[in-house]
Amino acid sequence: MKRVLTVFLTIVMLFAIAGCSNSGTTANTPQKPAESPKAEKIRIALVLPATVDDMAWGQSMVEGLKAVQKSMGEDKVELATSEKLGNAVDAGAAIRQYATQGYDIILAHGSQYQSVLGEIAKDFPKTTFAYGTGFTTGPNIFAYDPQAQEGGYLLGMLAGKMSKSGIVGIVGPVESGDAVKYNYGVQQGVAKAKSDVQTRIAYTGSFNDIVGAGNLAKTHISAGADFLTGSSQQAVGALRAVAETEGKYWLSTDMDQSSLAPNHVLASQVYNWEKVATKIIELRKQGTLGGQRLSLNLADGTIQFKYNEKLADKVPAEVKAAIEQAKQDIVSGKVKVELPKK
Amino acid sequence: MAENMQHLEMLGITKRFPGVLSNNNINIQLGTGEVLAILGENGAGKTTLMNILYGLYQPDAGEILLKGKSVKINSPREAIALGVGMVHQHFMLVPNLTVTENVILGLSRKILVDLKTAAIRIKEISDSYGLAINPDAYIWQLSVGEQQRVEIIKALYRGANLLILDEPTAVLTPQESKELILLLKNMAAQGNSIIVISHKLNEVMAVSDRVTVLRDGEVCADVKTRETSSEALARLMVGREMTRHKREGKSSPGKPVLELQEVFAKGDKGTEALSGITLEIREGEILGIAGVSGNGQKELAEVISGLRKVTKGKLCLNGKESTNHPPIDLIKMGLGYIPEDRMHVGTIPSFSIWENFILKDHHKSPFAKGTFLQNRWIRSHSSSLVEKYGIKTPNLETPTGRLSGGNIQKIVLAREINRNPKTLVAAYPTRGLDIGATDYIHSKLLEARSNGIGVMLISEDLEELINICDRIAVLYDGRIMKVMPVEEADESTLGLLMAGLSEAAS
Amino acid sequence: MEGINSEIIIVILATGIRLAAPFLLAALGEMFTQRSGVYNLGVEGIMMMGAFVGFFITLIGGSPLLGIAASLVVGALMGLLMAVVSVTFKAEQGISGIGLYMLGWGLSGLLFRLYVGAITTIDGLKPVAIPLLSDIPFLGPILFNQNGLVYSAFLLVPISAFILYKTTWGLNVRAVGTMPEAADTLGVSVQGIRYQCLIVGSMLAGLAGAFLTVGHANMYADNITAGRGFISIALVYFGRWSPWGIMLGALLFSMADSFQSMVQVLGINFPYELAVVLPYVITIFALAISFGRVWGPAALGKPFQRGTRG
Repeated sequence: MKRVLTVFLTIVMLFAIAGCSNSGTTANTPQKPAESPKAEKIRIALVLPATVDDMAWGQSMVEGLKAVQKSMGEDKVELATSEKLGNAVDAGAAIRQYATQGYDIILAHGSQYQSVLGEIAKDFPKTTFAYGTGFTTGPNIFAYDPQAQEGGYLLGMLAGKMSKSGIVGIVGPVESGDAVKYNYGVQQGVAKAKSDVQTRIAYTGSFNDIVGAGNLAKTHISAGADFLTGSSQQAVGALRAVAETEGKYWLSTDMDQSSLAPNHVLASQVYNWEKVATKIIELRKQGTLGGQRLSLNLADGTIQFKYNEKLADKVPAEVKAAIEQAKQDIVSGKVKVELPKK
Repeated sequence: MAENMQHLEMLGITKRFPGVLSNNNINIQLGTGEVLAILGENGAGKTTLMNILYGLYQPDAGEILLKGKSVKINSPREAIALGVGMVHQHFMLVPNLTVTENVILGLSRKILVDLKTAAIRIKEISDSYGLAINPDAYIWQLSVGEQQRVEIIKALYRGANLLILDEPTAVLTPQESKELILLLKNMAAQGNSIIVISHKLNEVMAVSDRVTVLRDGEVCADVKTRETSSEALARLMVGREMTRHKREGKSSPGKPVLELQEVFAKGDKGTEALSGITLEIREGEILGIAGVSGNGQKELAEVISGLRKVTKGKLCLNGKESTNHPPIDLIKMGLGYIPEDRMHVGTIPSFSIWENFILKDHHKSPFAKGTFLQNRWIRSHSSSLVEKYGIKTPNLETPTGRLSGGNIQKIVLAREINRNPKTLVAAYPTRGLDIGATDYIHSKLLEARSNGIGVMLISEDLEELINICDRIAVLYDGRIMKVMPVEEADESTLGLLMAGLSEAAS
Repeated sequence: MEGINSEIIIVILATGIRLAAPFLLAALGEMFTQRSGVYNLGVEGIMMMGAFVGFFITLIGGSPLLGIAASLVVGALMGLLMAVVSVTFKAEQGISGIGLYMLGWGLSGLLFRLYVGAITTIDGLKPVAIPLLSDIPFLGPILFNQNGLVYSAFLLVPISAFILYKTTWGLNVRAVGTMPEAADTLGVSVQGIRYQCLIVGSMLAGLAGAFLTVGHANMYADNITAGRGFISIALVYFGRWSPWGIMLGALLFSMADSFQSMVQVLGINFPYELAVVLPYVITIFALAISFGRVWGPAALGKPFQRGTRG
């Protein structure tokens, strides 16, 4: 009996582990037979803290890489993904495995992977590693750094100008890194648009608690906010809560979330990972394996500001004009969006 | 009355467990309204036999007749339906349920529990036998004696007219035991048949009409109680002539080896377990600590051996203060300790015998040189102890946990006495042991006494205390009720003191 | 900065009551399980499965009630699995519970990937204002304008208490969890009771999961429970295995959570790190200062086996 049990438990465990960490380890290319190993074929591996379909940080990168694959040709780019590796130690094992398997570029899509990459990269000097958000690089490590505050500033301006209640609510994850940058940008944008509009920031203390985020959004709404925004993968929960109330709007970041609530997402800050990934590939072809900090910003188009087509007519022309002007000013350097002092 | 119809007959009962023939062709008879004692040492097969009767085990061979009808009892539920009730040695009561809830547990076939009707019936039963009990009290609020009454009510409520009691007085004070014996006689007089399983001779003599003696899984005697004697029964039970070791001669105590002055300590639940204990043990004497367990005995032993913190007061070993010293210091200062739980505190059950022998000395010469154990020396030392103390074991490598209770206790005793302590604290050293092993432990404690060791013997067994102690202190509710020379101690005085009645005793 | 007016207080209390529902459902379920002597650390995994299945069936079946029914079924199945492993095979309960948790997490994520694929929203349960009662000033909107699952969760408190203390089954459960030997000798089936409790408890955990998707977030994402199952287990200890105590704990925790959210939202100057841990701190503090005799199920965690030799 005991033995039956042991076997049974082992199967359950294996199943569980397979389900929770490696289910996404699928090569997204149709498996090309190995007989056409053209020298220029690039093999890219992506390690994600959450899922490939989180409608936020992770999914935006996946879509960017797919776009790269499409533009360069499916036979030129091979893509593999591992998800749900929020724990840097588990992620380390996956990264090392990819490196051993000879992947050319390994993208560890989270700031928490900085130190584990630092360790592993030394052992694989010919492989290119990249991670972000971050700025510490290594000989074969790129760091990418979205200037989230720039798009945040524009979204903040939009909210400031459009808010009727005079309250903009932010549903933050954990007070750190990207979230702080983004929130700070929104705050400045709101203040720039209308000085008497309040920006209220609250955090759930988690990155993936969509229930908590939804609840925080509801609290914001009941306390008077009519424009809400927030970053990280839990933001979809807040977005869903906003969509339940007529006349409340959501501003999305990381990617365009308007498909989830077409009548409530007014505009988005979208990261163009395709450009970032293409740049890394180019640099590698030129022999630069790492060592550069790649900034995502409005100026080079790696950050885009997008209206929801469906609701675009709700935004008055003069507001659009003001935001366009602000964008130009940021690009030209005339307006500098402050970063939080640390 | 015994000539009346037979209530129960068990014929040719045989039960085999892997490697053990627990019951071999056993026959017993029980007349209606009779009290039968089944007497035997541990492992003689008494409990197995009763578990067969109660439906917990199936016999490999044999037949059970109830009121002349052959029955097959497959489960306790069927036994209950046939009017067989059992009061286990360890009570089968749920502490956080009330008396009524415990009594009706498993009986109600309705969705809702009807406590009111049940309480009325319980009252009827308790009135007719004089079993005073409050049906709404929680079990944990009751004394051990009261809990036992609940067990009896439980059986009667289910319509039992044949009651099995497994070692019923093991946990009772002498007064409670007397009450129980009266109760059982009363119940028998009202037509109930009763089986008492025991290895205590005096209780068997007091309660039963007839005694069936088991030895090594077989019936070796079946006698009328009034036609026999304790000595005769002891011989039958053990199978040889018994010489009981008793204290001989006046003790000539020397200087104090262990002193406690106004010692306070807390129990596991944070309440005060010891409230101002003052005691003194001198060289070459045995001081008995009498009392119903749970009155601070465990805490007292632990405080002395350094396992429990003293909150107030002072302890001295050999005239040197030892209050709240770590156990290792106390061991070095000459304290030997035979703990209450020989299985898990006194030894490490999965360790071999030789490992358990050197638990306290493995780090020093001659058992170790530097960090290395001196295996040859350890082995010869261990085998000499095994021989000297008559420990029955296949070999030195046997895990201690596989041995019988008596042999484990001998290992602990051998280890402690062989370390030449100045003071030896023994907590319930003979609990659960049979007569032979008990007597051996007594002889060794007396030997320690004549070697000048000061011994503290914590026990519930008054006969044991009176037989081998020089002085007896009674512990009640964390206090010493009285310390008296053994000459002044008799069972009734001690019993009253153990129940907390100091005025009555003085 | 506006002060705390009565409207804000209503929001805090009404939100607190709503947030208490999943904890209450899962913890009441776990209470029955633990009362029978088994701890089920798999609650979190069962909640995930309940959350996913409730969401999925609502998505394809169009009715939240179907989703809720499905979550009860999946909860029962997972409870049965736990019972087979921990009661029949007597596996170490802590380990099998963690196994169940991992199974629930992995399986719910996998099924979501296979059958849904992308974040999708559903129309979940709507708040039901109870006529008349919801018009009571102040209390009405707090207590009587919630969704059906919230009412059910709170109704389950007196119901559970009644079952536990007034019915034969409840008596058997209490006996089996404290002294299985006693129950066994009196003909109560220890294993049977444990099976039943695990199944009922897991059904409630499944329902708690469904509350998150169908009754609250109206969507599903991986790891949606975010530790709520484990908090529910802690609340069972907090509530000392009593339905009312558990309700008190669940309310205390969720009220504190709702309060801290509002404090943050109103921009009251309070460090957010402290705010988010406030519910935990308050609950632990309340646990630490409460005292009195506690009768936990003494046989908790111990598989039952009849003595081999008397």
